Amino acid sequence: MKNRKHKSDLIILFATLGLMALGLIIIYAIGPMRANVLNSTYGTDYDSNFFFLGQLRSVGLSLLAFFAAFKWIPYKYIKKSAKIIMITALILSVMLWILALAGSSLARCELGECRWFNLGSISFQPAEFLKLALVVYLADFLTRKKAEGNIGKWKEFWFPLLIICGVSLFLVVIAQGDLGTGVALISIVFGMLLISGIPARQYLIMVALVLAVAVGAVMTSSHRMERVDAWLTTLSGGESTDSTYHIENAILAIGTGGLFGVGVGNSVQATGYLPESINDSVFAIMGETFGFMGLFLIILVFGALLLRMLKVAENSPDTNDRFFVIGVFSWTLAQVVVNIMAMTSLVPVTGITLPLLSYGGTSMIFIAFAIGLVLQLSCYTSREVNKNEDISSRRGLRGAHYPNRRRSS
Amino acid sequence: MLAIILVRLFFIQIVEHGHWVMKADEQHTLLETIVAKRGEIYMMEGEKPAPVVLNQTTYQIIIDPSVTNQDEIKSALESYAKDYIVVDFDEIYHTDGLRYSIVAKNVPRELASQISELGISAVWFQKNNQRVYPENEMASGLLGFVNADGIGQYGVEGSLNHLLAGKDGLLKTTSDINNVALSIGNDNIKIPAEDGKDIVLSIDRSFERGIEEIANEALASSAATNVAVLAMDPNTGEILAMANLPNYNPGNYGNVTDSSAYINYTTEVPYEPASICKSFAFSAAINEGVMTPHTTYYNQGYEIIDSETINNAEKRASLNGYIDIQTALYWSLNTGSIYALKLLGNNTESINQQGREKLYDYYYNKFRLGQATGIELAEAEGFVWSPNAEIYGLNAAYANMTFGQNLSLTMVQVASAFSAIVNGGIYHTPTVVKGTLKNDKIIPFEQTTDAEDKILSDETSATMRGMLINNRSSKVLWGIDPPGYAIGGKTGTAQAIKDGAYTMDEFIGSYIGFVGTEEELPKIVIMVKMWGEGQKIEGNKDPMSLFDSLSNYAINYFKIKPKV
Repeated sequence: MKNRKHKSDLIILFATLGLMALGLIIIYAIGPMRANVLNSTYGTDYDSNFFFLGQLRSVGLSLLAFFAAFKWIPYKYIKKSAKIIMITALILSVMLWILALAGSSLARCELGECRWFNLGSISFQPAEFLKLALVVYLADFLTRKKAEGNIGKWKEFWFPLLIICGVSLFLVVIAQGDLGTGVALISIVFGMLLISGIPARQYLIMVALVLAVAVGAVMTSSHRMERVDAWLTTLSGGESTDSTYHIENAILAIGTGGLFGVGVGNSVQATGYLPESINDSVFAIMGETFGFMGLFLIILVFGALLLRMLKVAENSPDTNDRFFVIGVFSWTLAQVVVNIMAMTSLVPVTGITLPLLSYGGTSMIFIAFAIGLVLQLSCYTSREVNKNEDISSRRGLRGAHYPNRRRSS
Repeated sequence: MLAIILVRLFFIQIVEHGHWVMKADEQHTLLETIVAKRGEIYMMEGEKPAPVVLNQTTYQIIIDPSVTNQDEIKSALESYAKDYIVVDFDEIYHTDGLRYSIVAKNVPRELASQISELGISAVWFQKNNQRVYPENEMASGLLGFVNADGIGQYGVEGSLNHLLAGKDGLLKTTSDINNVALSIGNDNIKIPAEDGKDIVLSIDRSFERGIEEIANEALASSAATNVAVLAMDPNTGEILAMANLPNYNPGNYGNVTDSSAYINYTTEVPYEPASICKSFAFSAAINEGVMTPHTTYYNQGYEIIDSETINNAEKRASLNGYIDIQTALYWSLNTGSIYALKLLGNNTESINQQGREKLYDYYYNKFRLGQATGIELAEAEGFVWSPNAEIYGLNAAYANMTFGQNLSLTMVQVASAFSAIVNGGIYHTPTVVKGTLKNDKIIPFEQTTDAEDKILSDETSATMRGMLINNRSSKVLWGIDPPGYAIGGKTGTAQAIKDGAYTMDEFIGSYIGFVGTEEELPKIVIMVKMWGEGQKIEGNKDPMSLFDSLSNYAINYFKIKPKV
């Protein structure tokens, strides 16, 4: 049941394109430094344009995914295939796990964590697919349970939900050692549950439960405990150690930026001081490059993007659509907030990318695809008054009018 | 949540901005010294400067025996740099826990790069700037050396270190994590290094080489263990040769066991030149018009002054009675020079205040004995008694000073004063530096100023030349001095001072003389000093015969023409 199609949400469109362009610029500026650092430290032979070209390819593919989701692949087909998508995503993660255990060269590992399929010149990170799949599947699951009136019931609702989430988290956090994606998955689930209509008491119990498990997981892992320690040390201005190095250099980069930044191409922290300067730490490099004003604008753009997503969700006439948009919203919000808070030492470092800005292929393509779908859904919201809308043909909120397939102009 | 982040960002970027910039500077700033190139040292080869001290970049090769492949590095070094290996490979490869070993030193750049191209793992090349002395040991006492800290020690390297060293530059720049300088940042400072000056010595390289050869031969056939030779142009004060034998190799200065080998005896060690100084006393009296070569006095073979008996060394009976001054100089009679001191006081009987003051005026003020000459080398001041010194036996001390004892002078002081006596009476400040070299041109050295002081009359100088030539009259007869030349000289034999007292067991022998065309001003003054622990080296023996050889060598070398 949809409204008549109208013009898409321009803010979502331009925020997405703008962030991608900004990411491209920053990688253009610091990519050569990254190549230089790797070459002189590890004796690799990266061309100075290697990372820029890589990002260019990712942005190109992401734009393709974005517009495909926006224009060519109707969400209704996707929600029909929700189960298949979820199963495929889980199978891919399981396959990766098995390949990694078998020591196959098809699984690409870095620092002992195997998160990528190695397909010759390209690599693929199934966890990113899993995030999208989970959003699609949960939208379908919650819609069905809502329709059946089973929300909040143990056997019909919580049992299958916990199984699905548990398996996903196991594959991501344990098998792939990817805590960042784990945090994103949990955020997606809780974001979507929030509007599912489950009793507040159950919701709070689940939050408490997950927090307890999370604290337990951190406490029992020396590696994670070290990060928390490092975070607390940095916050309290204690002595520098190897583990505080990353956070310290992130804040150092941001702090040096001042009000207006040092300018594009003048980042010193990117010349090897700040680890992961093109991936997870790109926000810190942006802080150094563009200063407080730049970061303020970037956060403003993310904020606008997120608010518009909420608006789309609010005005979506379809329950499934609404769940889906909220899922994408939670996913984006979690990545933005956790990444930026880690870089400003408000939370411990978890290793999570900044959507649309960080270097990296799979993560950008999938989030671009997801936002593309949100943009598609933004064309069918109800309370949006649009000049291009054909008011005469409007039949009210729950009218039986189906949109024709004409292109919006 | 985004608001919290913005507040946090505001705090970091605006409030704490200065703190983080400071921290960043600490982390990003690379401070590096740009090492100035040390100046090179030249001597003269005819009219052209010729290098005697050069710079060369060499490498130390360092390995990690626990990683570096023994066979690979060993065969590489043996085929490329065999002469530079400084370790026994079997030994270092059997030393447990050794992670660092210098295996070769002073390896020239080409060889080091050939070894480096082999790509053996865990091999490091450490660059050194090495001083190279193409003449090996020659003139080591004059040249000095450069120590491991790059600071010149002894000789020219030491005394002119401030010019040779130049001024290191400074590089302050933002750098990446591997300390590679970046072009980012506005506070980068680059003060270029000022390279050291190339210094040209007045020393004639081939002449120096010849002098050292001859002096080494003389040393080999003498009981003396050391010889110092100084040759200068009496008309300019330029030092033409300066030898301190035995030499050492400045490139391996560390191999020297006794640091006295580094000493330049011609300028740094004052001593008693003995009877050579009679030339100074007689010049003074003649120039004052109170004495001529034909002035006579009564020689009884000794004098008693201040209850000290001063004997003549030459005691033959035929000299007793009335003799003239020329004879007294020929036989080097102490009574003769004491008589000159008496005459300076206008008193034929005893030494008085006026005589002392006159002698002091000549010794200290005119001949500049007992004071630094101003030569561009480390030098000692020496000592002469003041005419008003409040000591017992001042007259005896002054009597001693007339024949070169009870004072201490450096060879360069003596040779400069002697040059003034024979060159027509002009004192020239001795100099060993011709100038600095820039674009193959010698730029005169402004640091040295020639005193150019007319201290004796032309007549006094001519008279003194005549007497000094007369000293060598027998040399002409024996065919040692070739005919048609003016060659004059004076011996000096001093008792060495041991534990503050004169000893009869060790003599330091000296000889100073000049060489020139007959009836012309001399071309060169040569001074020789020979000594050895416990050896009685008399001036009229080994030192004089060494002068004989050197004066003939100088005639040949400088192609001094005889009078026709």
